[in-house]
Formats: sequence, C-alpha cells, structure tokens
Amino acid sequence: MNPPATEVASRLITLLATLMLVFQLLLVVQQMLIANIRLFALQSLLLTGIATVVACAYGAWHVLIVAVLTLLGKVIFLPWLLQRLVRRIKIEQEIHPFVNMPASMLICGALTVLSYVVARPFTSLARLGSNTLPVALALLLTGLFLMSNRRKAITQVLALLTTENGMMLAAIALTTYGMPLVVEIGIFFDVVVAVMVLGILVFRIRESFDSMDVSKLNELKW
Amino acid sequence: MLLTSLLLIPLVVALLCLVARQRILLEALNVSGFAIGLVLGVKLFRTVLAREGAAVMEWGEFLRADALSAWMVLLISAVSLATALYAVNYFRRDLAAGAVTAQRVREFYVLTPLFATGMLLVVLTNNLGVMWAAVEITALSSVLLVALYNHPTSLEAAWKYIMLGSVGLVLALFGTIFAYAAAASPAAGMALPSFNWSSLLAMAPQLDQKLVKLSFIFVLVGYGTKAGLAPMHAWLPDAHSEAPSPTSAMLSGVSLKIAIYALLRFHILTAACLGAEFSRHLLLGFGLCSMVLAGPFILTQKNLKRMLAYSSLEHVGLICAAVGVNAPLTVFGALLHMGYHALTKPVLFFAAGNIHQHYHTLNFRRLGGGLAHIMPATALALGVAAVAVSGLPPFGLFVSELTILAGGFASGHAWVSVVMLVSLLVVFCGVLSKLAGLVLGPPRADAPPRELVTAGRVAAMSLPLVVLLLFSFWVPNPLRQLLERAANIIRGTP
Repeated sequence: MNPPATEVASRLITLLATLMLVFQLLLVVQQMLIANIRLFALQSLLLTGIATVVACAYGAWHVLIVAVLTLLGKVIFLPWLLQRLVRRIKIEQEIHPFVNMPASMLICGALTVLSYVVARPFTSLARLGSNTLPVALALLLTGLFLMSNRRKAITQVLALLTTENGMMLAAIALTTYGMPLVVEIGIFFDVVVAVMVLGILVFRIRESFDSMDVSKLNELKW
Repeated sequence: MLLTSLLLIPLVVALLCLVARQRILLEALNVSGFAIGLVLGVKLFRTVLAREGAAVMEWGEFLRADALSAWMVLLISAVSLATALYAVNYFRRDLAAGAVTAQRVREFYVLTPLFATGMLLVVLTNNLGVMWAAVEITALSSVLLVALYNHPTSLEAAWKYIMLGSVGLVLALFGTIFAYAAAASPAAGMALPSFNWSSLLAMAPQLDQKLVKLSFIFVLVGYGTKAGLAPMHAWLPDAHSEAPSPTSAMLSGVSLKIAIYALLRFHILTAACLGAEFSRHLLLGFGLCSMVLAGPFILTQKNLKRMLAYSSLEHVGLICAAVGVNAPLTVFGALLHMGYHALTKPVLFFAAGNIHQHYHTLNFRRLGGGLAHIMPATALALGVAAVAVSGLPPFGLFVSELTILAGGFASGHAWVSVVMLVSLLVVFCGVLSKLAGLVLGPPRADAPPRELVTAGRVAAMSLPLVVLLLFSFWVPNPLRQLLERAANIIRGTP
C-alpha cells in the first residue's frame, strides 16, 4: 500500500462519485421510462467501479465481492427485470412528473447544496475521496424527491433504488472497507427481493386499475 | 442449539408449506410449528433466567439472546400461535364464500411463518446489519400478506406500506451504517470492527459522538416508520385495515413492537455513548406526539379496523414515551404493556374479521348496532377486549398503564403523565363509545341473520383473552424477574 496509489484511488473515487450524482440529475430530467432504467444501470455501474477501486487500492478483497454482486444485481438483473416488466404491461413511455423539469432541477440543486452543508462536519471522517459522503446524502435526498415527483409505480421503484445506491456509497465511503460481508450480502438480497415484490405489486396494480399511475391510489383516507 | 432451532422451525414450516398440497396439511404445519416455537420460547425464557444476566449466544456471537430478546421471543411466538389457530377457521370460511382462492390461502400459510422467522431473527441476531436485513424481511413478507385479497384498496394499502416502509428502511440502514462508521473511525487500521451490538456497546464510550447522534436520528425516523410512530404512521391504518384479520393481528400485536425493539437497541447504544438525555428525549417526543395524534382520529373514525389501528398507534406511542421517561418503573411498565397489548389487540382484530365476514363491511354506520343479538360470541369477545384495551380494571393493561403513569409522576415527569392521561382518556371515550354502539345499540333493519358459530371458532378467537385474564391477576415471579432484567438492559444499569 504505497501512498501515491491510494492518492490516485481517492481521486478516482471522488470522480466516480461525482459522476453518480450527475447521472442522478439526468434521471431527474429524463422523460423516457426505458432511458430512466438505463441511467440507473449506468449509475450502478459507477458504484461497481468505486467498489472495485476500493478493493484494489486498499487490498480490501471482500469489497470485490460487493462489486461483483452490484454488477450482477443492479447493473444487469434489476434493469433487465424492470425493462421486461415495462414491455409486458405495455405502458406508455413518457413520464409525467408532478413538478416540471426546470423546477425539479432547481429543487435537486438546492438539495445537493443542503447535503454538502449537512455533511461538512463529517467530511474529515470520510477518508475515501473528499466528497463521497455529501454525494451519498445528495443521492438520498434527490432520490426521495424523485419518488414523490413520479406518478408511475415503476419510476418510484427506480427512485427508491437510487437512494439505495447512495446508501451503498455511504457504506463504502464512511467505513473505508465496507461492512462485514454477511451484512453486505444480506442487504443485497433484500434489495433484489424487494424489487421482485414491488414488481408483483406493480403487476397486480396494473391489472386492477388498468393503470400504473399511483396518484390514482387515493381511496383510503385517514 | 436453542436459538438456531427457534429460527429454523418457522423457516422449515414455510418451506414445507411451499410444497404441501392439502389445505389441512398447511394448517397443521402452521399450528404445530408455532406451538413448538412457543415451547422453545418458554425454554429460552428459563435458560436466560438461569444464566443470571449473561446472554445466551450461538454461532460465535452471531445469535444472542438476553432478557429483552427472550421477552420479545415469547410475544412473537404467542401471537403467531394465536393467529395460526384463528386463521384456520377464518380462511375456511373465506374459501367457502369465494372471497379468496386456494392459491392465495397457500400464500398466507407460506408467508406467515416467513414473517415470524424475520421477526425472530430481528430479536435474536447480535449483528446490527443483519437486524436491518431481518426487519426488511418482515416488511417484504407482510406486504404481500396485506395485498392478499387483491382488492383495489388492499393493493393501495400495500403500495403505501411498501413505499413508506422502504424509505424508512433506507433511512434506518443509513443510521446503521453511521453507527458502524462511528466504531470504525477511531481505529483506522485494516481490521474491520465487529458489527455486533454487544461489542459496540462494550466500546460505546470510544465511539464517535457526532456520528452516533446522526445515527440515532436516522434510525429513529427509519425504524420509527416501521413502528408506526407519528408523524410517520401514514401507512399504518391502511395496512392494518386492508390486511386479512390474522395478518392485522400479527402486524399490530408484534410487528410494531419488533420495530420498537430495534429502536431500543440503538437507544441503549446511544445512551451508553452520549448519556441517556439525547435519545430519551427524542423517544419521549415522538411517543407523546403519537399518543396525542391518535385520539382525534379515533373519535372521528368510521371504520372498525382503522379505529383499532389508531388504537395501536396510541399504545405504541405510550410504550415509546414510557421508555423515554427512563425511570425504572416506567420502563418496566412499558415492557409489561407490550405483553398485555400483544394479547389484547389480536382478539379485537379477530372479532373484526368475524364481523367483516358476516356483514361484508366494517363501516360503523353500515354495521349499525345489535351485534350482541346477531353475533353473540363475537360481541362478547369484542366487548371484553375493548374494555381491556381501554385500560379498565381488572385487565392487565390497567396495571401497566397505571405503572407507567405512577412512574412518570414519581420521577418528576408530572406533565408527561398528565399528557398521557388526557390522551388515554380521549381514546378511552372514543373506543368505548364506538364499540358500545356497535355491540349494544339497536340493530339495523337490513342486518344479516343471526350467526351460527362453532365452538372451535369461538375458542380460537378468545384464547388470548383467557391468557390475558390469567396474567392480569398473576404475574409469575420468574416473569417479573425477566422484565426487571430487560428494563435494566434498556436503562443501561445491568
């Protein structure tokens, strides 16, 4: 472990984390459903990259297993599953968010600034890359905004998955070497099963309501 | 082997139900599995008591049971067994009426043991990350149970539940990661610190204080969502009212308390690191907020099961606030209250299930009154359980609520006790006036004919009430010891 190598790794992680945030903002403005799913896959690929860099540069080999699982699960399997679902229930491609595009951009910008402010006292603790923790928080906050700003069930699922990407980033960034393997594997399988359960529900909602617009789910009050 | 078998039995039951063909086999597997679970739970209770405060551990330190876990295991297994017994007749009637398909009933018998396995794993694991994963397992298995009837409204309830639950769990995982990072930061070496709750507790004074604070806030909002604490409770009345009644009983009887348990483990950790003030005030605030909020919703509620759900909100709030007061008496009362509530709420939901199957509605106006004439057995169980849940003597909830209130006054938190008392009074009026109208009021002209009930059905429904009455008058000494020990663990004074 020579210092220059870790220096390079740290910068690489900073770069990849920033790119993750860029993809998140693209998700906010992208109006086509399939493109949304692909953007999520690319964002997960960046997460895989970060995990690989951490594994190689710091010799934390069990993080490599996390990288492989992310690659298989979030880059390949889940996007495939979601695309298949989209094709099977033949929904229209365009997303009609509640808040229009420029306003969403402004809100997400504000949320990102907020996460940098909130994370400032903790940045000294994140020794991997200088901005991983604020990016993780920004992914969480913009992901939550994205969830409330989308009508279609599938896009809400995608937004939820981006917050989970943020969480994995926080796990890698804050603890240097990720969490114990059993925990990482547990989280991974929970995420995959969660998306499958959500898929079942989306399918049933589509059958009952003839629509995936969750703003039509408004029967139950108080 | 004890902890392992506690976890394995419901899991094996779930797997067997996946391949079992006959319905009678599914029912028998569920009931016998949960019965064995209860026996093992009692055995764990005795083992933990015999250990004089040392925790039972298995698989290295992966599984760990102290007094607090043993108490939760007892609650989980008792409520699961009661639910399994009631579910047999409930689903037979639903099948006969064509309300569900055989496939869906099988789904119920597979998912319920999985749900129970998840809850048992939450309380038996020592690893905070695995605890998170187990809470997620309970959420995922129960969401499909909520959607079991496949009505538009149950799908809506399930969607709200999974979405809010997932957001909550993402926040809880952030909190869990922060707690781990708090342990990782001082030791900058290569070695991974252990993620076990017991070892984090042992090194609590060395944890990074800022991160522990941040962690507790995230976990409070996250697991608080799962526990249905106000203002994150939006999913709770929907899910409880739309789920099949056996599932409502599990959700309200134990699942909420499992989330509270997860919260308590972090509370203990935070208190050990920062002193009790920080986390206990947060718990107190959220608890009182839930209690105060539940009252008006109960007074204006039009749906029986939704009213019961808001009553659960009230009780969860009371438990949290009582832990927040942090006096020995209130924490003991909170634990006792968990037990009594777990025995009472399922009966109310079972009765509501019977009513729904007979009247095909849960709307108070459309139900009218005269339940005592039309469904005498159900009306009796509903009435007795309603008196119990409102905190009237001679039932145990009166004792536990009095313990909490007295503890509040004695420890100089008079205003907390006053707020609790007022909101309990509001709920008392709401629940009793609604249910008195339903049971004793004049029946509607278009009310259904008198119900013919089988003895088995009545017995399955009222079994928890008998147990409640027994334990209301007699808290055995070993049980008292266990609860005192659990209270000491929560207060950090072992």
